[in-house]
Amino acid sequence: MKQFSATIRGNYPLSTGFFELEFTWDKAAPLPEPGRFFTVRVSDNTIPLLRRPFAFSAFDGNEGTASMIFQKRGHGTGLLSAKHKGDTLDIIGPLGQPFPMPDKGKKALLVAGGIGLGPIAFLAQTLRKEKIPVSMVFGCRTASLIPSGDSLAASGTVICTDDGSRGFKGTAGDYLKSIERSVGSGTVVYACGPQPMLKTCHEFAGRRGCACFVSVEQIMACGVGACMGCAVKSAGGGYKRACTEGPVFNSRELQW
Amino acid sequence: MSMDLRIKIGNKILPNPVGVASGTFGYGGEYEKLIDLAKLGAIYTKAVTLEPREGNEIPRIVETPSGILNSIGLANVGVTRFLSEKLPALAKLPCAVVANVAGATEAEYMAVVERLESAAQLWGYEINVSCPNVKHGGMAFGTDPQQIERLTKKIRALTKRPLIVKCTPNVTDITVIAKAAEAGGADAVSCINTLVGMVIDTAAKRPVLPAGTGGLSGPAVRPVGVAMTYRVSRAVSIPVIGIGGIMTADDAIQYLLAGASAVQVGTGTFVDPSIPVKVLEGIVEYCKIEKIASIKELHSRFSQP
Repeated sequence: MKQFSATIRGNYPLSTGFFELEFTWDKAAPLPEPGRFFTVRVSDNTIPLLRRPFAFSAFDGNEGTASMIFQKRGHGTGLLSAKHKGDTLDIIGPLGQPFPMPDKGKKALLVAGGIGLGPIAFLAQTLRKEKIPVSMVFGCRTASLIPSGDSLAASGTVICTDDGSRGFKGTAGDYLKSIERSVGSGTVVYACGPQPMLKTCHEFAGRRGCACFVSVEQIMACGVGACMGCAVKSAGGGYKRACTEGPVFNSRELQW
Repeated sequence: MSMDLRIKIGNKILPNPVGVASGTFGYGGEYEKLIDLAKLGAIYTKAVTLEPREGNEIPRIVETPSGILNSIGLANVGVTRFLSEKLPALAKLPCAVVANVAGATEAEYMAVVERLESAAQLWGYEINVSCPNVKHGGMAFGTDPQQIERLTKKIRALTKRPLIVKCTPNVTDITVIAKAAEAGGADAVSCINTLVGMVIDTAAKRPVLPAGTGGLSGPAVRPVGVAMTYRVSRAVSIPVIGIGGIMTADDAIQYLLAGASAVQVGTGTFVDPSIPVKVLEGIVEYCKIEKIASIKELHSRFSQP
């Protein structure tokens, strides 16, 4: 991990309330990997105070830029959405554990919900480069919330909307159930999204005998394992830190 | 003229007045890739208890205006693993390594200190009688001056190392608490620990933290910390270590002018890990401009209200 000042290369609106922020990645910092994250100090003021954690959505080694997808939800993301090309960002990263690559010969089933698309899209890009077969499912409430919907659809991603305004009508979890019989132990499930969706993926993987890796979200203070604030419940009792043991966990390690 | 940054506490010297507060810096190693730990005056470790503790129900943190409310619950690896896994790396650093000691009973505090006495590398102890987030021990000790004095005396009998008692602000008069620590033989007091606070989720109509309340820290509490440091400094003759919301050198200088001999940066490190080192540099710069040669001289320059 390294703390550095990055320069924003672009801050692009993707869909209602969603943005993709592209910024320079320090050459001396370790390279971003899918599933890992970084923290940003969104302002020099004390409101909001804590750094905000974000997962990488892409890394371009030639350009030396990393990207994230974020949703304008509160004060911090509101300030981020107002940032422009040329502005600087105080970054610490990369942090946490990446998604592990699937064992040889296995294929990947990627499931993203809402803003969980960022790390899943990055993982898809990385797996495809490695010639690993990827199928991808994306779910959100309604068509207007789909980030860059056309490029998603073009990549063969199955789009699910709760209201049926685009693609499959229902949640990503509902869609998984509809394809349940076609998935077996030769598949590894990777998921990032709301907690109920992650739980559905964990249970689905359990029924189909496949491994499942989930990226969890928790409020963080330090991001480096010092404060014990971002604890999540462990399957064996006790807690694990989302920032250091996670944010990616084998779903069997967690209590659901 | 170069400033003398050293601070004497008990029978030992802190290399400089800026430390990092317990609970915000883990066991040091977590931050070693981000800052030069050798520049710190002291690392106050995550609280150490006799047995490992898992900590409180989640979520444990909620942000507040210019602050955070936490309910971590002394999650720590326990004294055995602290000694075998955490201390060896810490002991290589030139800064003072102060073990923050917590317990549910007097016997537990004493047992932890007895175990830690075997570790030659430890600089001293900060006795945590002020954690607001545990049901037994912690603040339950820290609000009763008789218990504080008795506990401090018992620990004093176990060690010659610097003994710092960390005081809670959640009392009517913090000077009573600080005086009890001094009477028990403490070499210094540190103040303040976090202030009890609550944030309510109005949609769910319940507190955001499962424990109900948590401890408030960050810039929001700084004026409270400075005022309590000012009062405690005048009530005791042992050194006072100021804590609470330090984000800049100016914040730290306020504590030093108020009477603190040293400071700890806590929540500020979460916001920017470079803050502790920048605070030290800023103190040195200020003293250079003001032609102040020592922390003692800084105290003497303060105009009493």
